[in-house]
Amino acid sequence: MSEHHITPLRTYLIIASLLLFLSAVTVWVSYVDLGPLNIVVAMLVATVKASLVAFFFMHLLWDDKKNLTMFLMSLMFFGIFVTITLLDTEFRGDLGLNPEVKNPINNRASFYDTLPLTDTHGHPVDEHSDDHHEDKEHH
Amino acid sequence: MSDHNPNAPSHLKHYFHDVNQQYETSKFAMWAFILTEVLTFAGLFVAYIVYRSWYPDMFVDAHKLLDVNKGLTNTVVLITSSLTMALAIWAIQKNNKKLSVLMLVATFVFALAFLGIKYLEYSHKFEVGQLPGLYYSYMGPDAAHLNNPHIFFSIYFIMTGLHGLHVAIGMGLIAWLIYSTQKGNLTSEYYTPMEMIGIFWHLVDLIWIYLFPLFYLIG
Amino acid sequence: MSEHKKQNYLNHPKGLMSWILTLDHKRIGLMYLFSGILFFFLGGLLALVMRFELAAPGNDIISNEVYNNVYTLHGAIMIFLFIIPAIPGALGNILLPLMVGAKDVAFPRLNLASFYIYSFGALFAMYTIINGGVDTGWTFYTPYSTQSSSNVVPMTLGIFIIGFSSILTGLNFIATIHKMRIPGLTWYKLPLFVWALYGTSLVQITATPVLAITMVLLMLERFLGIGIFDPALGGDPVLYQHFFWFYSHPAVYIMILPAFGIISEIIPVHSRKKIWGYKFIAYSTLSIAFIGFLVWGHHMFTSGQSVFSQIVFSFITYFVGIPTGVKIFSWILTMYKGQVSFTPPMMYALSFLFLFTIGGLTGIFLGAVALDIHLHDTYFVVAHFHYVMQGGTIVAFLGGLHHWWPKSFGVMYNQTIANIAALGVFIGFNGTFFPQFLLGLRGMPRRYATYDEQFVELHSYSTFWSGILGISIFIAVMNLFWSFIKKNKVDPGSNPWGGMTLEWTHTSSPPHPHNFEEEPVLQHGPYDYDKVIVEKTYKK
Repeated sequence: MSEHHITPLRTYLIIASLLLFLSAVTVWVSYVDLGPLNIVVAMLVATVKASLVAFFFMHLLWDDKKNLTMFLMSLMFFGIFVTITLLDTEFRGDLGLNPEVKNPINNRASFYDTLPLTDTHGHPVDEHSDDHHEDKEHH
Repeated sequence: MSDHNPNAPSHLKHYFHDVNQQYETSKFAMWAFILTEVLTFAGLFVAYIVYRSWYPDMFVDAHKLLDVNKGLTNTVVLITSSLTMALAIWAIQKNNKKLSVLMLVATFVFALAFLGIKYLEYSHKFEVGQLPGLYYSYMGPDAAHLNNPHIFFSIYFIMTGLHGLHVAIGMGLIAWLIYSTQKGNLTSEYYTPMEMIGIFWHLVDLIWIYLFPLFYLIG
Repeated sequence: MSEHKKQNYLNHPKGLMSWILTLDHKRIGLMYLFSGILFFFLGGLLALVMRFELAAPGNDIISNEVYNNVYTLHGAIMIFLFIIPAIPGALGNILLPLMVGAKDVAFPRLNLASFYIYSFGALFAMYTIINGGVDTGWTFYTPYSTQSSSNVVPMTLGIFIIGFSSILTGLNFIATIHKMRIPGLTWYKLPLFVWALYGTSLVQITATPVLAITMVLLMLERFLGIGIFDPALGGDPVLYQHFFWFYSHPAVYIMILPAFGIISEIIPVHSRKKIWGYKFIAYSTLSIAFIGFLVWGHHMFTSGQSVFSQIVFSFITYFVGIPTGVKIFSWILTMYKGQVSFTPPMMYALSFLFLFTIGGLTGIFLGAVALDIHLHDTYFVVAHFHYVMQGGTIVAFLGGLHHWWPKSFGVMYNQTIANIAALGVFIGFNGTFFPQFLLGLRGMPRRYATYDEQFVELHSYSTFWSGILGISIFIAVMNLFWSFIKKNKVDPGSNPWGGMTLEWTHTSSPPHPHNFEEEPVLQHGPYDYDKVIVEKTYKK
């Protein structure tokens, strides 16, 4: 077993610091509104963190390449699952261009009508309120 | 035949030629297992993505009901536990049993802390009625206008719940590692189980790296 | 060889506990074999109940409600308790280490665990039968499955548990094939059955986790009303179908790839000719495994998914037929100018070529969206998948049993009876299922216990020939078991078919507990009939 690659202590500590730093970045960036780019940036940062964990902590950088291949294949199949499913859900109705047809889902399940309004602790509020916000603009 | 070889280490199984073949095979199989775990969570991530695309505003507003501080703390806890796990392996590679056990215990403690914080989060949600599916009852001023928030909380509970289950399983495995290492069964000559469980633990960290922004930091 | 009875995996070690706690892949394979055959007969019985009900219009034997339970259980048992676990589990377990020159699979304890997990999951299925059945169809479509009062949870729980068994088997085989081959046994010298198991195992570990999470979500939908599959709660039932078929389409390749592998072994050996297109067959296995993940929506053409995805799924579905076609041509070219012997394995292989081709082609017909709109949920689909699953996989499985029976047990069966039974299977199968194509085209829906008068003639033919089919399969299997009683032993070193792969050339019949006396040294390729002469030896 002596021919196994032993990662230096320094490497582990640097990577861990990077991970903690990037976690802070993740939170900080979430306060900046980039519109549709929000999710992209968040996932990019998460992917950088994940790569650090995979390559260094999980040793993929130095391992037999088959192990990395196995891991990448799992991500590829996840990608296939998501992409092709979205080809359905995003393009329902008139190729997804008609929002009403695209989301023909019951926007508000009927049991909500039986729920009393509550305060922030979850306790029902005494007075009845009639202004339910129905049909909020949905996408 | 190696089953009659008196020089073979006791942990070498008779159907393997040498310890290296056994070690590489175990690692490879562990990565194949990681593939299955990724695909399991993949289904849930697909559900998240699809429902977020159908209810984008509800997701943004509902997520504000989660506690970012607890989420961030858990992120830090898990990353640190990943470090201590890696250090436990580093220590055993250097044949430093004491340090390895110490690092494993630290990892276990961090895992416990993670579950403790999750327990606090979950119990708060139980109290106020932010529950999955038909059990949802929270209609506070910040939520009464939402469309089907029970779906957000369903996906939240299932994903963090499954993840938490993996943390708990990991704790059990780490406890076994503590016992095994302390007893002297794992040394620099043979530490394959520690490495395999380490890979599992890092996967648990990996999944949380994605869960944290997706649930706690939307928009 | 010593005088006293030679040790083989059947007689050593002795005792019940040595079987219950065995780590020997060959014994585990036998356990899968016998469980599999048991569940096959159970599923077959359910099929015969359906065929008897359908012999005449109206509810003659059972009510509609009972019928719903019968076809659900038939499907679930055949698919989850027999075809998916049993062929890799039985033949794969017995043969894989032998074919790569290993003493066992990479993780024998996981292998045993895999069998017990399968058995445990099967118990839930058995409980479901006793407790009144489940009536949702084996596909468990929502929202009916989330509302039905039948035993949806025990059955889905059973399937969830069996999924782990499938995953563990897949992990074991992948590790074994990658890491435990003898020196010199490169990928291109592997028997094609090993390539088939490799492709199957890759699909198993990739697809089954999604089935697992789908079953969990279904159970949670029932218990908590989580709302992701139920339209009344803001969810989408079509999403359930995406989740379900993401696994279940690749699952059909789990079912057929090992069968392809068996045919790839039988045809060169019983034609005494080198396989034509080895690399074509090997790569087509991987192509099928991969492309199989891209086409699941062709089960959903009438579900309401977007037109865009219909087009994409239909288009890609046409590609998945191409590697299969490559295989069929390769097998035919292998037989061309070979010395074909009409042994029972070969009879099944020839049946396979005919029956699977029909099944595969009709699948392509169904891949056309416009056609599928009319044929979805009719008997055309039923006929199609029985041609590929039964005419394909089960026929190949029977062929494989007949091919490796002397190797596994050191006995030979009556080949004349076996051939007659094989013929009975072929004729009975066509008689049962060909009329069903016509029924489907004429509009007979599937999962219906009664039907309009116009369909009675075709249904009665189908029922009659299903009886012949059932009897023939029964005779074939009993003939195999009878070989134990008659004890028509073969010489331990014998190679009755003249096979060239390691299990024929380097192990005794039955094999030694640890497979090989000493590690084999590879001397030639698996089908080198053009370079090497291998004697067909039977008895001394």
